[in-house]
Amino acid sequence: MALRAETLVARLLFVGGVVSVALMLVGLVSLQVHAVSGRHPVDVARIIENRQAGRAVDVFVSLPQLMRALHRWPPDPTAIMTVGVVVLLLTPALGLAAALVGFVQEHDRPYAIIAAALIAALLFGFALRLGG
Amino acid sequence: MSDVVFLASVCVSAAGAGVLGAILGLGGGILLVPILTVFFGVSLPYAMGASIISVIATSCGAAAGHLRSGLANVRLGLFLALATVSGALIGASLVGVLPASVLEILFGLALSYSAFTTMRQLKLELPVEGEADPWAVRFGLSGTYYDRVLRRDVPYRATRVKAGAVAMFSAGLLSGLLGIGSGAFKVLAMDYFMRLPMKVSTATSNFMIGITAAASAGVYFGRGDIHPVIATPVAVGVLLGSYAGTRLITSLRNTTVRKLFLPVVLYLALSMLLRGAGLWR
Repeated sequence: MALRAETLVARLLFVGGVVSVALMLVGLVSLQVHAVSGRHPVDVARIIENRQAGRAVDVFVSLPQLMRALHRWPPDPTAIMTVGVVVLLLTPALGLAAALVGFVQEHDRPYAIIAAALIAALLFGFALRLGG
Repeated sequence: MSDVVFLASVCVSAAGAGVLGAILGLGGGILLVPILTVFFGVSLPYAMGASIISVIATSCGAAAGHLRSGLANVRLGLFLALATVSGALIGASLVGVLPASVLEILFGLALSYSAFTTMRQLKLELPVEGEADPWAVRFGLSGTYYDRVLRRDVPYRATRVKAGAVAMFSAGLLSGLLGIGSGAFKVLAMDYFMRLPMKVSTATSNFMIGITAAASAGVYFGRGDIHPVIATPVAVGVLLGSYAGTRLITSLRNTTVRKLFLPVVLYLALSMLLRGAGLWR
């Protein structure tokens, strides 16, 4: 039986939130393990210091850069956390995709068009900024 | 402050922001940005990046719960999000063209008037049903939710849809132009213009804020303003807090939510007027 748009969206948003937070936590725990072994010390004081001197070196700002870091072994903990961040940032667009599927199943054409227009706007903005 | 204490403290603060955000239809940035910058010494760009994370995490945690309880309305949210996102895209392209200070003063005045009307409606549990709006009928902008406090189903239908959509477009315009969140404006547009129950307004706003925040999230990510070490405790705290908030709101009256919302409107009205007058940056 086809699920209602509301149910699909609720499930997608919940799963997206949980998956992203789980990835971020795996990365954070991994970072702490690295810190204990002295390989990759966490230095929150340095991270939160004023950024006027320039961008922090351990922040990924594009998907190609992130993908390159994930191909190394062992994976960079900050890269794993960043994947969690990206999943979270994409979750509203995925929620809209779930709504679109729901509206198509319900033969609700006006709302299917509205959902598709919003997805296009979000993905366009996201791709424009993250393409590298 | 040790790293563990920092992470735990940010997580607890974010949980508080998540609870309030889920009840009031806000992303929590209004609370989190001052907390992160003043108490934790986080620089403003990272605090703003954390705010975007907070908005989307609130939207995920709260909207999921609100949609299940029937308080958030997907069709209403998407219909209005179209107006907000259009406004935000136009606003972002007009940066440097439109004088921001004029808009800030106009919005400050509009918010002051909204605060006044909110005060007059403090004891109004459910809106008085008006005439059927043809747009509301055409686009199915209505619904029903079960109110645990009133112990009955509450049917509702949007009125003055065009005015609500214009208010949403303006909120998006301001959001795109000034780079600020607009959860409070969305709630006011639904509560005041469209005469929807307060809890439906805040819950639907929670669904919408994730979409509008996602539209500008790439900008923050690309600038390197979202640091994963700060984003993680914020996302964890907000997600847990917002989920708790969705449980809490079902046991609150619409009048209680409106009373909690009033200080936010007053704060925003004052800050907008002061920013417009160049007295607050």
